[in-house]
Amino acid sequence: MKLKQLLALPVALLLVFSLNGCGTVTAPAATGKVFHYGTMAYGPAMQNASTDPHDTYCGWSTVRYGVGETLFKFDDQMGLRPWLARSYEQVDDYTIKIKLRDDVVFSNGKKMTGEAVKACLEDLLARNDRAPHDLKIDAMTADGQTLTIRSHEKMPDFINYLADPYSAIIDVDAGIHDRIAIGTGPYKAVRVDDQGLHLVKNENYWGPVKPKLDEVLVYSIPDGNTLTLAMQSGELDAVQGLPYASLPAFEKNGAYRILSSPTSRVYQAAMNYDTPALQDQRVRQAICLAIDKDNFVSVLLRGNGLVAAGPFPDTFPFGQGVQGPAYDLERAKELLREAGYTHTDRDGYVTKDGQPLTLRWLTYTSRQELPLLAEYAQASLKKAGIKVDVNATDNYKDFLKRGAYDIYAQAIVTAPTGDPGYYFMSKIYSGQPYNNGHYSSPVSDALIDRLNNTFDRQERFRLAREIGQQIVNDDAVFYASFLKMSVVMKKNVTGFAPHPCDYYEITPELDIH
Amino acid sequence: MGKYIGRRLLQLIPIVFGVTFISFLLMHLAVTDTVDVLYEQQSGANAAAAAAKRAALGLDQGFFTQYCHWLWQVLHGDMGQSFVTSLPVSTTMLSKLPATLELMLLALFLTLLISLPLGTLAAIRKGSIWDQLARLLSFTGNALPDFLFALILLYFFAVKWHFFSFLTPTADRSPLLPALPLAFAMTAKYLRQIRALLLDELSKEYVQALLCRGLPYHYVLTHYVFRAVAAPLLALLALSAASLLGGSAIVETIFLWDGVGKLAVDAIMLRDYPIIQAYMIWMSALYVLFNLAADIICAYVDPRLTLRKKED
Amino acid sequence: MASHKRKKITLLLGLILLGLIASCLAEYILHYSPYEQHLSLALQGPSFQHWLGTDVYGRDLLARTLAGAKLTIITALAVALLSALIGSCIGLFCGYRQGKAVTCLLRLADIFLSFPTMVFAIAVAGILGGGTFNAAAAITAVTWPKYTRLVRNLVSPLRREYYIEAAQMSGFTTGQILFQQILPEVIGPVFITAALDLGTIITEIAGLSFLGLGAAPPAAEWGSMMSSSRLYMQTAPWTVFVPGAAIVITVALFQLLADSLRDFFDTKLVR
Repeated sequence: MKLKQLLALPVALLLVFSLNGCGTVTAPAATGKVFHYGTMAYGPAMQNASTDPHDTYCGWSTVRYGVGETLFKFDDQMGLRPWLARSYEQVDDYTIKIKLRDDVVFSNGKKMTGEAVKACLEDLLARNDRAPHDLKIDAMTADGQTLTIRSHEKMPDFINYLADPYSAIIDVDAGIHDRIAIGTGPYKAVRVDDQGLHLVKNENYWGPVKPKLDEVLVYSIPDGNTLTLAMQSGELDAVQGLPYASLPAFEKNGAYRILSSPTSRVYQAAMNYDTPALQDQRVRQAICLAIDKDNFVSVLLRGNGLVAAGPFPDTFPFGQGVQGPAYDLERAKELLREAGYTHTDRDGYVTKDGQPLTLRWLTYTSRQELPLLAEYAQASLKKAGIKVDVNATDNYKDFLKRGAYDIYAQAIVTAPTGDPGYYFMSKIYSGQPYNNGHYSSPVSDALIDRLNNTFDRQERFRLAREIGQQIVNDDAVFYASFLKMSVVMKKNVTGFAPHPCDYYEITPELDIH
Repeated sequence: MGKYIGRRLLQLIPIVFGVTFISFLLMHLAVTDTVDVLYEQQSGANAAAAAAKRAALGLDQGFFTQYCHWLWQVLHGDMGQSFVTSLPVSTTMLSKLPATLELMLLALFLTLLISLPLGTLAAIRKGSIWDQLARLLSFTGNALPDFLFALILLYFFAVKWHFFSFLTPTADRSPLLPALPLAFAMTAKYLRQIRALLLDELSKEYVQALLCRGLPYHYVLTHYVFRAVAAPLLALLALSAASLLGGSAIVETIFLWDGVGKLAVDAIMLRDYPIIQAYMIWMSALYVLFNLAADIICAYVDPRLTLRKKED
Repeated sequence: MASHKRKKITLLLGLILLGLIASCLAEYILHYSPYEQHLSLALQGPSFQHWLGTDVYGRDLLARTLAGAKLTIITALAVALLSALIGSCIGLFCGYRQGKAVTCLLRLADIFLSFPTMVFAIAVAGILGGGTFNAAAAITAVTWPKYTRLVRNLVSPLRREYYIEAAQMSGFTTGQILFQQILPEVIGPVFITAALDLGTIITEIAGLSFLGLGAAPPAAEWGSMMSSSRLYMQTAPWTVFVPGAAIVITVALFQLLADSLRDFFDTKLVR
């Protein structure tokens, strides 16, 4: 029998291959302090796989990873602070005058002047698809370190847009090469591709705190399981976006530290006003009452969330004080009876004129919390006698476009610009394309109109709270919870913390000991 | 021979045409397009911006206009640009292909490495411990989703034994670990197929006749039986190779392997038509070429088959 | 010898049937609903009350796995049998006949064969919506051509066999020849391929479920149970491995059944 020989050859070949495997597993050559950072939020699918802030959503990467900075930035309470700017002045409703810092240089050593900022913003308007529609800039004039901007519409939240990552200031004369832009941040990119970024210390950094690390490597790890394993293997110093399910593995382990911060990413369910049953406020209210948000957050999100009352977290100045109804199953059943759902069928679902109350709950799976919310709502509403058909599909946009849903649950950042106006205008105002619930209330609309014409910040915040309360009173949207963003890092990492607006990750303070 | 190959290659045209047309049609049957997906993704933008983007990408045109435009471009050697990244499709595809090729060829090789000897043993020693082992492998390999096996491997090799590094770029990394789950799933199928093919062939009368003539068993096996089963085996292999080279989105995602499988699935999710179309061309070309290669090799290995006969 | 084989087949069929019956009666046997949530009992390990533990919603995994047998097995069987039926019929025709129609059908099969399942599934879900039925339809659409190729390759050489020519000359109709003479020759490989495919189909539905294109919640479908709990693999491994084991056992049963059937119908294969 030559069987032994038959087997020997493959085994030998296998050995050769596995040895080849051993040889190549070497970490990149480290010089000085190197920080390895894994994130779920970077990649071509997120449209941010570049540091060119003017290209789609790549500005998020520019600002997040410390390559570029904006004229204004948000503090931990989402208040606006000057960053590359020194101050600003609202000349009239249409004109704003910005004084720039005098000591800022780009990573190539060039000074950031009014002319350079103007050129950068002009390039933004020319190349970005959203900026021209957001900023509505009419004319810009630069004079030394002063920049005067005129808009063709009243823009009370103009400064907020200048804190949006796409407004990161780069040296446009230097151009963009291989997705690398020249910014003013503490680090500069040397390699940018679909897999991640390689950053090195910006020796010319202008800020008072100088970058402490020599190199930062950002890895795009879009899979939650892989991200967990990569952190557990000890190869990464910090990760962002770990699934909740994995956090216990790090909580128990003394070698790691977990920090979290509430964000304005809310899990909300918009009631479709085109659905006859949902036009009755008692039905909408019953739905809001029958889902126990506390249980959802504490058990299904494992405490990694913040129970939501309105569209903004309590920690934001325009989110404070909105009151939502508490969980009350009996009241929900009573409301359904009042609404005419007096009988129950064999399966225990309430009926009106012999028709059971069935609702199509549309959601998607790319945010891990949404399918959890959907299944939880399905079971909760069943107790109230409402039948829910869950349609959790990453094809949800097709259904949205066709209107084939009664409740649309989504995760949405309600204050991406640190201002409440944006959310109300896009999701609540009558007739807007992203108002998925087709909610239309003259009261809310009038309040939003007033908000759009109010420049005083405190008054804006007060109005925002009023609109938020109005939506909750109308039971137009069910706000379940806010995302608490967690970052996990090794114990020796300092200066790394999640920020409520999700823009700032790699900062000059970041260090490894 | 040359004429035959030329004729077979001509078949590529209707297949590529059909595949790209159907995929284009299917993607357009979905109600949403790239612009809807992109703008909905980041909490929406206003309608004017979306309309401008749609016009810029040519999505405001009719279906046939879009397809003809695309076809015209391709016939001029231009695969267009990705709707999402605005990078040329051809460079994007070419930058990801080597990684997939490397991974998949190794997976194919490993599959044959395990399934050929083990499948043979299972067939000639029917009912033995080898046969049972082959069965067990084929049950588990067939039933377990690849992500599960991949994650278990990663847990041991990366977390426990530090044998695999997440930080090494794809190009410098050994494809052995990511190839294992793919090979495992394929081995499960091949073990069964090889065993069945061999059993079938061994039961034929000519084998008994040869043995009766006093030829040694292994001689009959290597000189007659293996040759006879080569043709169906190669046909099978051609099919798997073609589908393997399309990449595996799940394995590529889990092992951070920068290949075309993930590229394609992302493109489908984002409705990035130019990338999807390029991927479809790649898939259909692979399919035709591998089948052609299998037929040619078969004709050499098994003289009973002639190319002419298989032509239709 | 034959009676031994018959016993084995009966045993395997019995086991499969028993599983399906248990699946239908799961709720009554176990006193746990596979669908009712008890959040206070979420992610508990195997215990005396919950033999196989609970999932993230506090549902009993044994109840869910048993209830899932129905949906999972029937869907996978339907896809496998339907693809085999459609594919084999076209394959029989293509192998026996020649001409323009055959070429067209073969090209069509080629087109579908080189088509990735995902493209199809997304398009189907986009037009018809997600759900088990549509996922099954999408998988069937890309699975059948495999059988066409298989059957055609088996039938082509038979066309020139003497007994077929004899049948042709003695006035049998094409249908009679195809189904009485040729079909029995090819049914074995088709069955074996289908049994092999069963596992693949279950895992493919699982993959689609993961994208939200498969079974809709709260349906207890093994594949989607596995993919939706894969994040708990380290903290609550039973949520993944229980449905996984169910799939392995099922696939094993069907493959053993396919083997036995093959041995039973084709005794000459015994060595």
